[in-house]
Amino acid sequence: MSPLYTALLCTFLPLAAALVLVLVSPLRRAGLAAGLFSVATALIAFGGAVTLLLERWSGAATPVRETVRWLPHAGLGGGAHARAVIELGVQIDGISATMLVVVTAVAACVQIFSLGYMAGEPKPDFGRYFTWQSLFLFSMNSLVVAPNLLQLFLGWELVGLVSYLLIGYWWSKPSAARAAMKAFWMTKLADMGLILALLVLFVDTGSFDWTVTTSAAGAVTLLLFFAVMGKSAQFPLHVWLPDAMEGPTPVSALLHAATMVAAGVFLVVRAFPLFEQAPTTGLVMAYVGAFTALFAAVIAVVQTDIKKVLAYSTCSQLGYMVAALGAGSQVGGFFHLTTHACFKALLFLAAGSIIHGVHSNELSHMGGLWSRMRVTSVAFLVGALALAGVPGLAGFFSKDLILEHVLERGLWAPLGALLVAAFLTAFYMGRVTLVALFGRPSAHAEHAHEGGVSLLAPLVVLAVPAAGVGWLGAKLSGLYAAPVHFHLSPVGMVATGLALAGLGLAYWMFGAPQGGGRLRAAFAPIGRLARSGAVNARFAWGYGVLGGVSSIFAWFDRYVIDGLMNGLGYATLALGARLRGLQTGRAQDYVYVLVAAMLGVGAYGAFWSR
Amino acid sequence: MPTLSDLGPLALDLGLLGALLLVFAVDLVLPHGRKRVLGLLTAALLTALFAASFTTSTAGSAFGGAYVGSEWALLFKRIALAAGALATLGALDHVDRHFPTRQGEFFLLLLFSLLGMTLLPGARDLLLLVVCFELMGIPLAMLASFAKADDTTGTHRHAAEAGLKLYLVSAVSTAITLFGLSYVYGLTGSTRIATIAAAPVTPLLGLGMMFTVAGMAFKIGAVPFHMWVPDTYQGAPVPFVAFLSVAPKATGLAAIGLLLSVAFREQRGPLLGVMLFFVVASVVAGSLLALPQRDVRRLLAYSGIAQIGYMLMGFAAGTVRGTAMLLFYVAGYAATNLGAFLVLEAVTPGRPGPTLEDLRGLSRRSPWLALALLVFLLSLAGIPFVVGFWAKLSVFLAAYQAGLGWLVLFGALMAIVSLWYYLQVAKAAYLDDPPPEERAPPPAVGAPLALAIWICLALVVGMGAYPRPFLESAATAAQSLAGH
Repeated sequence: MSPLYTALLCTFLPLAAALVLVLVSPLRRAGLAAGLFSVATALIAFGGAVTLLLERWSGAATPVRETVRWLPHAGLGGGAHARAVIELGVQIDGISATMLVVVTAVAACVQIFSLGYMAGEPKPDFGRYFTWQSLFLFSMNSLVVAPNLLQLFLGWELVGLVSYLLIGYWWSKPSAARAAMKAFWMTKLADMGLILALLVLFVDTGSFDWTVTTSAAGAVTLLLFFAVMGKSAQFPLHVWLPDAMEGPTPVSALLHAATMVAAGVFLVVRAFPLFEQAPTTGLVMAYVGAFTALFAAVIAVVQTDIKKVLAYSTCSQLGYMVAALGAGSQVGGFFHLTTHACFKALLFLAAGSIIHGVHSNELSHMGGLWSRMRVTSVAFLVGALALAGVPGLAGFFSKDLILEHVLERGLWAPLGALLVAAFLTAFYMGRVTLVALFGRPSAHAEHAHEGGVSLLAPLVVLAVPAAGVGWLGAKLSGLYAAPVHFHLSPVGMVATGLALAGLGLAYWMFGAPQGGGRLRAAFAPIGRLARSGAVNARFAWGYGVLGGVSSIFAWFDRYVIDGLMNGLGYATLALGARLRGLQTGRAQDYVYVLVAAMLGVGAYGAFWSR
Repeated sequence: MPTLSDLGPLALDLGLLGALLLVFAVDLVLPHGRKRVLGLLTAALLTALFAASFTTSTAGSAFGGAYVGSEWALLFKRIALAAGALATLGALDHVDRHFPTRQGEFFLLLLFSLLGMTLLPGARDLLLLVVCFELMGIPLAMLASFAKADDTTGTHRHAAEAGLKLYLVSAVSTAITLFGLSYVYGLTGSTRIATIAAAPVTPLLGLGMMFTVAGMAFKIGAVPFHMWVPDTYQGAPVPFVAFLSVAPKATGLAAIGLLLSVAFREQRGPLLGVMLFFVVASVVAGSLLALPQRDVRRLLAYSGIAQIGYMLMGFAAGTVRGTAMLLFYVAGYAATNLGAFLVLEAVTPGRPGPTLEDLRGLSRRSPWLALALLVFLLSLAGIPFVVGFWAKLSVFLAAYQAGLGWLVLFGALMAIVSLWYYLQVAKAAYLDDPPPEERAPPPAVGAPLALAIWICLALVVGMGAYPRPFLESAATAAQSLAGH
């Protein structure tokens, strides 16, 4: 099959699956059969994506770009750009082939995992869930293969729409419904940046391609970056991401770790030729990204909900990617996207497996899972160490690459923030791992046990790239740019040292299970922290300070940033309610307004025509 | 002596007149209890006329230039005929159930109003324009108050209010339009649009022009001429509101387009300023006032006011492209809003239309209706894959190209506000639990109403997936107006 048809198959097979599930209601209502059907199509799509990547891997294939005319110039173009034609099509090169593999692999794993995780749901709901899953895979793939910004935007919006349905999956939970609304609304706010960027780009160049040279690069890229901030959860538009954890955990693994939130970063990677024309936007991105990386990492330190830790960690790692792209490293940003997708999807799925076993999200309800859930624990450990940046595992390579580039650019403040974030990342992952897997078992964890094969197989499969994908960095980057050669740089060694220090500190503080008794006394003032596990009393003050800072950040995030966003909404609502008084319902008032308005309008016309 | 061939441009309108007379005649001979045939007949005739619009040549002028058939007129005729046919289908069961003996009246009034709508865009004489406007408007007021005390809907008091408000405000605005026209006539000595276009600019002509246009702005419900809209939508029969919310607006925009691009082409400076004012005022007031609404009809009424604001962006741009984009927006909005109101009719047949509470859990009681509603709401909100997205993008593009970047930014921000109330409706239908007493079987939707909803749905999705032919015909129509 030619690359074009393979790409079309990858994209449209999941759509076909979704349509079949929508239209053939007996299949949808059958539950498990619907799930298996959806999984099968996802696996075929994954196979197609792998074929595409391997073709590029062998070096034989050239980039493929096939388009058809869609809208004529008479419609949207014209004027100064009479030749402009809007195209639909497919672009397959190193970037989209890699991203397709990432997306389809994670999606397939998540769907298989969901077979076991959602097994308790009523059958029609189960079928509906897999309908949305297939639809999501279609939207994400159509975003990935898009040959221009307009088509990418269409996929981008569809992804947002389906994520609304997936987060709100648990309808009966009001918090899930609210989170779904919020996620949709906030990302839509950011998406307006993308629409405006499209308009400015089109009027300036008569094209939606990212390869054009434009005099308005600054405005276009800043507007694009605003959309990226919303989708990829950058400060201060990140507040929807922790809330979105209300959705099912496999959904979080797919949307909020590996694919949807990475779409913003992917947009920048794709439109990198545009961003290269706007150095100022790069600076803004480097600072915003680095700040988000640090800010979110600090907050992750005190979270007591395992999914919230991972959510803030995702914000933080996305900040890394954005900072890398801002520093001008397309390879660094995209490679970290790839490695992060592997280990973060693994972490979320392992967390899902733990939640499935313990029936709780709370860290304090876990503990001692190493002996009870061995496979899950090993998988979680691999993911955590990869995220922490332990040498040899995936995260180590991509983080090193990013830090080197940021250093090369002489961006000292972002570099410092990223290094501190690296330390904190290792620390909070160490904390979660030690408390959940090796801590003193809570009453909930006493009866924890592994789920079925469908829960464990994806963990085993994902653990392999989470550990090893870093070694492929040179080859993967060679698919779309000059291949990078990894070597342990001084800054990389500093980062590794900091990561090991973070892990060590976590071990020192949470590694000794006997600390539990004294803990409560030591932490009475910071009661919330006490629930997070056993802390060695000697380090109570240190943790107290860190925890204090972290709590302040978390409070700031919860009440000031989030409050500001909510406040804007409430102010608008209140304004609407106030204006309502103008509508009296009395016909004579309407006539007064009518006559007054006509007189005003008439006077304006007469004055103007003087 | 005009010959019959002179009437070529009026072929469709004459056909509509024939259809009207046929329905009238059939109404006279039909016994009580069989009146349902009238609605079916009306729908069939309108569909046939719509189909005929693709095969009949209506180019040329009639009555010594007072009427000009062009692509512009043809596009509006098609929109009106299609909206009329769909609204008839949607209203069939409602009318049959609640006004069984007065079905002929209902559909005749609808046809009269449609006749005004199809005639107006071709008018090149201001008197003809006003007559068409009234031919369209007076039957609408009668239809708005169609429910009577002996009917079964229990909404007759609201209906009387709806009709009265529509009529009263309509009468005042027509009076002011005519007052403005008296200035225009006095200064130019003619009611012919071609003559007026050549007249020199004077303050008095400016005054007359503004009065004329302000009267038209009433019909499209632009702020500050919008106050009748929510009250009327709330009191009138829902399938009729579906019609009222799209067809007269399209015609009102046709009239404004005529004045702006042809009659006052040389003097239109202040008109563009007023258009800008209408855009900002309508979008702000419509979006903000829709936020606290609980009655979905009122919510959609305010949303329609905001939508008019977005459409007028096309006129405010002051370019042919702007007019073309507006036409595309009108066509997309017509399909969307018709569909949305028809879903409301399907959800609560024969009761005063739904509140947000009535819609709760709709997706579980009636998945297809909920899905249709969701698609219409997404289109109104301007989300991709449905026509509303292209519509908003088009007018934004036209405005940006005309140098109105700030207006585009403003429109984009307000679109976010509007997303909130559209999502409120979607949330009620999809995320909220149905009230316990509503766990009854889903509302039974009659075949004609279901067909109408399906057609609207297909249009909204189809125009979203492949907008090309619609954009092209909008562009052709706008160019034909620019060349008179």
